[in-house]
Amino acid sequence: MNAGAPLAGHFAPGTLPYRDGHLGIVELGEGPTVGYLHGMLGNPGVHAVLEELAATGHRVVAPSLPGFTGSSEPEGLRTLHDWVVATSEVVDLAGLAGAPLVASSVGAMLALELAAVRPEAFGAMVLVAPFGLWDDGDPVADPFGTTLSVQRAMLTEDTAASAAFFDDPADLPADMVVEHGVHRYLTRTAAAQLIWPLPEWGLAERLHRIANLVTLVHGAKDRIIPASYLERWAEALPNVAGTHLLDDAGHQADFDQPAAVARIATAAFA
Amino acid sequence: MKSIFFHLMPYPELPPDFPEQHRSVWVDIDPKLYDPTVGHQTYNAYLDQLEFAAECGFDAVGINEHHSNGYGLMPSPNIIAAALSRNCPDTNIVVLGDSVALYNPPLRVAEEIAMLDGITGGRMIAGFPVGSPMDTIYAYGQNPATLRERYHEGVDLIRQAWTSDEVFSFNGNYNKLRYVNVWPRPVQQPHPPIWIPGGGSVDTWDWCAAEDLVYCYLSYFGYKAGLRTMQGFWKKVQELGKETNPFQGGFAQFIAVADTEAEAWDLYREPAEYFFNTCLHVYAGYADPPGYKTPNTVRAGVEGMVERAAREATARREASAADAAKAGSAKPSYGSKKLSFEDMVEKGYIILGDPTQVTEQVHELATTMNVGHLMVFSHFGNMDPELVKMNTEMYATKVMPEVAGLFEDDYEDHWWPKTDHQLAPVGSRAQ
Repeated sequence: MNAGAPLAGHFAPGTLPYRDGHLGIVELGEGPTVGYLHGMLGNPGVHAVLEELAATGHRVVAPSLPGFTGSSEPEGLRTLHDWVVATSEVVDLAGLAGAPLVASSVGAMLALELAAVRPEAFGAMVLVAPFGLWDDGDPVADPFGTTLSVQRAMLTEDTAASAAFFDDPADLPADMVVEHGVHRYLTRTAAAQLIWPLPEWGLAERLHRIANLVTLVHGAKDRIIPASYLERWAEALPNVAGTHLLDDAGHQADFDQPAAVARIATAAFA
Repeated sequence: MKSIFFHLMPYPELPPDFPEQHRSVWVDIDPKLYDPTVGHQTYNAYLDQLEFAAECGFDAVGINEHHSNGYGLMPSPNIIAAALSRNCPDTNIVVLGDSVALYNPPLRVAEEIAMLDGITGGRMIAGFPVGSPMDTIYAYGQNPATLRERYHEGVDLIRQAWTSDEVFSFNGNYNKLRYVNVWPRPVQQPHPPIWIPGGGSVDTWDWCAAEDLVYCYLSYFGYKAGLRTMQGFWKKVQELGKETNPFQGGFAQFIAVADTEAEAWDLYREPAEYFFNTCLHVYAGYADPPGYKTPNTVRAGVEGMVERAAREATARREASAADAAKAGSAKPSYGSKKLSFEDMVEKGYIILGDPTQVTEQVHELATTMNVGHLMVFSHFGNMDPELVKMNTEMYATKVMPEVAGLFEDDYEDHWWPKTDHQLAPVGSRAQ
């Protein structure tokens, strides 16, 4: 894959060989392993929720899914089935099989899809605003039929919370600026592939198979998935340990309120 | 050089305050603005204009495909081509084109073009665009991450279907067909010429160069702005060691010709302003869905044509909002400072003048861009039918003869229907 693949720069402190390319990966902390499957913002380097999880005494392992921050383009991934298989491979490569998991947004959707066919892939799960349900009367918003600045405002309540993804670090070498831009574009492309045109692929029909204990988190100011979906998920999933509606948090509550999400996860995994 | 009378078929009666009251002319244009009676009159008027251009001697008439679009009333260009096919028996028809990825299976395109080629006796040119993001991603729900792969697979399927002498199976990633058998077959063998309309994607011009396909830059912003794109295409052709045959290139251009320059300034102002300020009032949020561009295009920083239209509309909107804020208005509207007619002409969006002036500019366009196929917009915006007729006739009689010989002696047009393969009109068409 990709002899001319863009360089990942700050987006990928580490890499793992994957198929004909590689995956970006972030690891930090010591203690019991916790996995983190990112949302639409990917893993823009070592970001706050990873640091907060590590600070609570965990070894956090955060692989970037194909196409996202620091990983090669997702060649050969066309259908949801392809993505679920890829997610399964990523979990194994990152050594996360059976570990507790924090997952957000598109990553939470894929975690649920994988758990429906491979329940042992994860232990307990803390899911932040998963995609995958749809209500005609209260539809999920379109985060891509808009300008980039509006999309950014839709992803987090505080736009500064997504700076690690959207804003280049001041010390980024000039020749990396273009490549970072390409990486951002590819990350947004991979997210779009998972939820375009509507983020509903029949997951509701498969939820009965999920045996994992799930804790649900949702930003009260999520401008993409209405906060009402927290209750929908709680009703649809078989084993819900608890629900948390976080004030002052948008779609990626793990970026807006990283400490709160880490606290919820620590309690859920205790 | 070939001149193709090209029609976008805009809806002519959008309200004067459309830019202020509505977000976009494309994708989410208010359905209530469409009056079916106006639509009925408009379709028939536009078909008359295309037929008139054919009578005037244009080398071809051309049409294209748009969806949910106030400036393009042709969701199905093949229906318009079918309507033209019986009334323009001696004219070539350029469908530029069918957005291949939107047809399921794309074989439908192969069949319909073959039908049209049969009706016209071998006068079809088949265009295969990837399609704009507004049409493909937003209006038709295609996934931006897979659109181009789906498109290329569709074009491959069509070409195989036209050229295979056997029934075959096609095992694509997006198309699984046990039996591929286009019946009827096109009159032109192995198939009608294929043109690829592009909006500025690096990979599209690379592909056209490699596959010997015509690259057509359908820009609304004239030859001065389009030069960089066409140069990118020709550079790739040269890198491949191929002949830079101008007939492998196409370009679109607004033309406004009158007896005198002063008359042209007077006559074409209103339709030009309607097109550029109302028809191109496109919301910027629909211009660049992630995945629509290839990484190479992102890296090269190339801006697509509709992306530019949306960006310029947004810039005007923001300037308008700033003015409104300065004036103390509590509620800025959707838009929109107007692009002036003078700017449109100055920047080359519109070639305007008397026949001599227009001829000179068309000559400059063709030679600087090295294009042998010119898509001529003699109609634009809400132009009065009588003015369309005048513009069309003056171009055909006073400009076209002066530029028709360009490139003809030095290059062969391999991408044009071969007259010795064409069949004579039959039946009532023969009269």
